[in-house]
Amino acid sequence: MTDVAHRAPAPPRPNDPTTFASGFQEIATLPTGDLRPADDRSYSAPLRALRRPWVVQLIAFLILLAVWQYLNVVSDRVPSIENVVSFMWTEITGGSHGGMLLGEFWGPLGLSLQRYAIGLLIGIPAGAVLGLLIGASRWVRGLLNDTTLVLLALPAVVWAFLASLWFGLTSTAPIVAVVLTAIPFVAINLSSGVRDIDPALVEMSKAYRVPPRNRIVDLLLGGTVPNALTGVRLAFTTGWNSLLIVEWFGATDGVGWRARFWYDALRYPGFVGWVFLFVILITLLDRLVLRRLERRAFQWNQKPTLSFAEDWGM
Amino acid sequence: MATVLIENLTKIYPPTATYPHRVQALGGVNMSVTGNVFVAVLGPSGSGKTTLLNIVAGVETPTSGSVRAVHNGVPAQVGYVFQEPRLLPWRTVLNNMLYVQDRKSDRSRREAEFYLTMVGLNEVAHLYPSQLSAGMQQRVGIARAFLVNPDLLLMDEPFSHMDALTGRSLREYLQRVWLHTRKTALFVTHDVSEAVELADRILMLRPGGVVFDDIPIDLPRPRNPDDPAVRAVERDVLRRFDSMEAAVRFGAQAQ
Repeated sequence: MTDVAHRAPAPPRPNDPTTFASGFQEIATLPTGDLRPADDRSYSAPLRALRRPWVVQLIAFLILLAVWQYLNVVSDRVPSIENVVSFMWTEITGGSHGGMLLGEFWGPLGLSLQRYAIGLLIGIPAGAVLGLLIGASRWVRGLLNDTTLVLLALPAVVWAFLASLWFGLTSTAPIVAVVLTAIPFVAINLSSGVRDIDPALVEMSKAYRVPPRNRIVDLLLGGTVPNALTGVRLAFTTGWNSLLIVEWFGATDGVGWRARFWYDALRYPGFVGWVFLFVILITLLDRLVLRRLERRAFQWNQKPTLSFAEDWGM
Repeated sequence: MATVLIENLTKIYPPTATYPHRVQALGGVNMSVTGNVFVAVLGPSGSGKTTLLNIVAGVETPTSGSVRAVHNGVPAQVGYVFQEPRLLPWRTVLNNMLYVQDRKSDRSRREAEFYLTMVGLNEVAHLYPSQLSAGMQQRVGIARAFLVNPDLLLMDEPFSHMDALTGRSLREYLQRVWLHTRKTALFVTHDVSEAVELADRILMLRPGGVVFDDIPIDLPRPRNPDDPAVRAVERDVLRRFDSMEAAVRFGAQAQ
């Protein structure tokens, strides 16, 4: 027998990515090599690339542009992509486009974002407090739950018109519209989160006489993060809609007003460009901020799940 | 060291929408436990074992009777190991331990790490419960119960959801930690061999929640379930268990 046969396996290095601490003080060495699932390996390289999320999203975007361009060819009511881009570029940089002087971009955008931020900064905490109270107290639930549900059922356009009626052509109207739109979304989601906290965990906390601070921070707030994030995402999107509607119908400045300005002037490239701007802004916010927050908040939920789509190889 | 004094304890659950009858879980339990003892409450399903433990822990209220769990004249600090681990899924193992602590100080952290080490889990302190096996989660539950420095340790069939091998390994962990701390313990089980392996005393509950028998177990620790002396006691307890069942059947027929 050679020395090699008797040699004990080398102890694993502490930070070796191929080792895994099982908790039983055993270190198991995992196989290196291709660790992708077997069904993923069965696709050829180009097909695998097509399955990547960012490639799929890029394809969707290109299809959208192709449909747009097609509609431009068959209808004179749809401006071309090139025309919209050049119009918005002139709007941003200033200058003349089609005989009209442009250049009001940053002012309306900054104003709208300011109103939006103020509205959310008021609406989200107010909705959170209301949601926690409705979820935690039967008395408050009896008093306010149905009312909040009714408010949730009202479309953003109603809040927009009401805010315009109450506050006229001021900056207060769009802010109030954002606040009123955000509150019920956050409140209802958070209250259902509080009610969904596992009673077994509440019993455990009671048996251990867990300090109130820990119960509020770790159990109540920690347990409602997923619902809170859902509420906040909805508040962000519907709040933005409601802001734009108020500005469209009842403001003399802001992004919504600027879109309407070009609509009234029958400048479709301007109108479409500003509408696209709404979409781009809310998409960027969702992708760069809200989804990342959500991913971070859900990192504890790593149960193996096989979705229907994955099961069917879609 | 805690004292648990239970007098004429009854618990009757009112009818519900799904079960329109009153259910008597406990029908006048009298018992007292004092000192650094490990007491197993043994009984079949429906004998009110979990209800008894929940009332002692203050999670449920009795219908009548009294329960006093005190340590030096003040309510005893309880450590409770449930049937399921009952961990906060969104907190790491270490933060689940610290959740039951008053202050998240360096000392608390060190103590948490100490008990996690005792159950062999210090290396996974940074992981979330969903990343652990069921057995590992239950070991966190055991470590958490000891972390609060309990005067009274309550355990409600903590190994009933485990396979035989994991259950055996967890019993060894529990024995190891209990021998280190020697806390007053009430351990609910329907498994005779588990009760004999762990307890200094077995209280047998019969259906309807009445104490049927009180059996002292005088065997050296740590105990091996394969030891003939342990086996002999187990057989004796099983005999008593059979006579209890016969008594229950006879009582039912007499009625």
